[in-house]
Amino acid sequence: MKIDLEKSSFLSALGIAVRGVSTRSAVQTLAGVMLKVDGGQLELQATDLELGVRARVDVNVDRDGSAVVPGRLLLDVVRSLPGDRATLEYRSSQGDVEVVSGPARFHLRTLPAEEFPRLPEAGDASVVKLPAESFVETVNRVARAASRDETRPHLTGVLVSASERQLRMVATDSYRLSVKETPLDAPVEGSLEANVPARTLQELGRITSSTQPEEIAIASLEHQVIFSSGGVALSSRLVEGRFPNYQQLLPESFEHQLRISTPELLEVVRRISLLAQKNAPLRMRFSEGTLDVSAQTPDIGEATESLPVPFKGEQLEIGFNPDFLREGLESAESEEVTLKLISPLRPGLIEASGDGPGSFMYLVMPIRLNV
Amino acid sequence: MNDRVRRVIAHVDMDAFYVSVELQRRPELRGRPVVVAGTGPRAVVTTASYEARRFGIFSATPAERARRLCPGAVFIPPDFDLYRARSREVMAILREHVDRVEVVGLDEAYLDLSGLERPKAAARRVKSAVKGEAGLGCSIGIGPNKLVAKVASDAEKPDGFVVLSREQACRRFADSSPGLIPGIGPKTVERLRAHGIETLGRLAATPERMLAATFGDRLGPHLARLARFEDERSIETVRVAKSESRETTFDADLHGLEALEPVIDRLAEQLCETLVRQERMGRTIGIKVRLDDFSTHTRARTREAATNDFEVVRSVARDLLRRFDPGRPVRLLGVRVAGLDEAVAGGPPAAVDQLELTL
Repeated sequence: MKIDLEKSSFLSALGIAVRGVSTRSAVQTLAGVMLKVDGGQLELQATDLELGVRARVDVNVDRDGSAVVPGRLLLDVVRSLPGDRATLEYRSSQGDVEVVSGPARFHLRTLPAEEFPRLPEAGDASVVKLPAESFVETVNRVARAASRDETRPHLTGVLVSASERQLRMVATDSYRLSVKETPLDAPVEGSLEANVPARTLQELGRITSSTQPEEIAIASLEHQVIFSSGGVALSSRLVEGRFPNYQQLLPESFEHQLRISTPELLEVVRRISLLAQKNAPLRMRFSEGTLDVSAQTPDIGEATESLPVPFKGEQLEIGFNPDFLREGLESAESEEVTLKLISPLRPGLIEASGDGPGSFMYLVMPIRLNV
Repeated sequence: MNDRVRRVIAHVDMDAFYVSVELQRRPELRGRPVVVAGTGPRAVVTTASYEARRFGIFSATPAERARRLCPGAVFIPPDFDLYRARSREVMAILREHVDRVEVVGLDEAYLDLSGLERPKAAARRVKSAVKGEAGLGCSIGIGPNKLVAKVASDAEKPDGFVVLSREQACRRFADSSPGLIPGIGPKTVERLRAHGIETLGRLAATPERMLAATFGDRLGPHLARLARFEDERSIETVRVAKSESRETTFDADLHGLEALEPVIDRLAEQLCETLVRQERMGRTIGIKVRLDDFSTHTRARTREAATNDFEVVRSVARDLLRRFDPGRPVRLLGVRVAGLDEAVAGGPPAAVDQLELTL
């Protein structure tokens, strides 16, 4: 392999590929980036076995071939090169890759290429194309509700479905459930339903924020999914196990429905949460026209604040995990939310009232208060 | 504590504690190189007498190597029941003299001497009481914080008594390796050296910004503070262990998951038994793996709810091991549950009161 390349375009592709590099594996090769030159193009590959990244970049090819080089090191080296261009050459007799730019010369020992896993290919799998902006925005609204508890792997994913003119994503960690439905300008060709690891989707968000593609093509394989956009392909295993039947979790009716200004409530919640430490709940006491938010942590202190709300009827006190409540309000991303409640031990629902009914729902289970 | 009162902290470190205790019941060995070490093929030295240290034998030296270094040394297997009993005796003496004592191990403790009229005199009384009543020697370091006190107690061992201000500590140890500071381990020392930082003085003089760029926003500034001997930790008179672990070194290296998983199960079982008995639970479950090349790897996972349930700890530990998948023979395996204090101190609404959706 011998190539001549432009530093800046190579660097942006390498920066993306390195996100797939495994830093914590016992398999040494996974700390590497595979450089594969074929037919006038360079493809960079990296994987930690759960997630794989391939990024293509145009280079001048002297000789085809491939090599695996420590990823972070290559990134640091290329970033520091003095010139605008560089040549990379795999020297099989020395077992290294030579990087030359201006007067600077590096020899980087390669990692065993034969141990580098094959990344999945889309082949003739069915592909659904979706507008990148809508997709990433929808991810950002729900991904936080996915579980990070790897002992419950089936909850670490986001259920992504698209058909007709609608994209929907659902995530739950069993304490809260987040559902975002996003209308699409143009109808989707084909349909999609996949339980994708939340981590993959968050990584996709980071990649697209630097590549700014118009569209994302999603290929579903039996156990894998591949997201392609603008010369970058992100592959990931799918979450095993069925996504819970979330619709049955949404209560059919509520006792109370309150329209509340989101920024106002959010500010109070953020402030009072400072004193809800060590698993202490945020207490919300609703009485005629008023909501008192309070928190208390033994040996630390307490806080309380009230705000006017259109509450009617008998007093109701309910406790929530402050982070769960805050994240729900933040993800609503609207000026107003409708807060729906039943009773202190039944779930509460935050609905964004900004952009049409049913577009964002966040169901959150309370914490039992010991009075 | 009143802020205006200047903080004075003493660190009491028993001199070659296990060996000294052994010598009390076998006085004929006094003056000879004595080593307390286990007997298995992979045992390490727990304590060496100062005579044995002259042969290059220290804590954690493999016992086999110690035998080669000093064939004439007397090897004694450890008797931890005895050491614990003697430790309680020593700590009781400390408490007779000082109100606020934080015991940090069988052979060391911090004393809070803040507000005393003559703190140095109090510390000298402690030292002579330990010698007089328990017949054991100790070294004491005194400083404005735990870090200075700890390093000072180690500076002139055995029988040391060193008083240092923060500035004096900075000057005195400016030429020492950063590894002198507890909390700066060999790996960090190595990384610092790679950046041309070989002394504490140099580390203290390195801009925090540069350290942050190399070591991250947390560790970088933390290293700088340590090098300046700054330490805000207070004396914790009631000390609650934040983690509990069980580990074992194999007589012969084990290879492959089939061989390792039963060990994980056994360690998890022992660990959970202890936790259940103590009525403690933790959220973080971890494993420790030392490979045949002596590299040590740890992996941990934090759950949303605390546990001391054997099935949970075992399945998480097994999963961590499977994911790590050591490709080489394994020397040591450990299982750990951490974040224990959160479950205990949480008192009121622990995570158990968080209701769940029925999925």
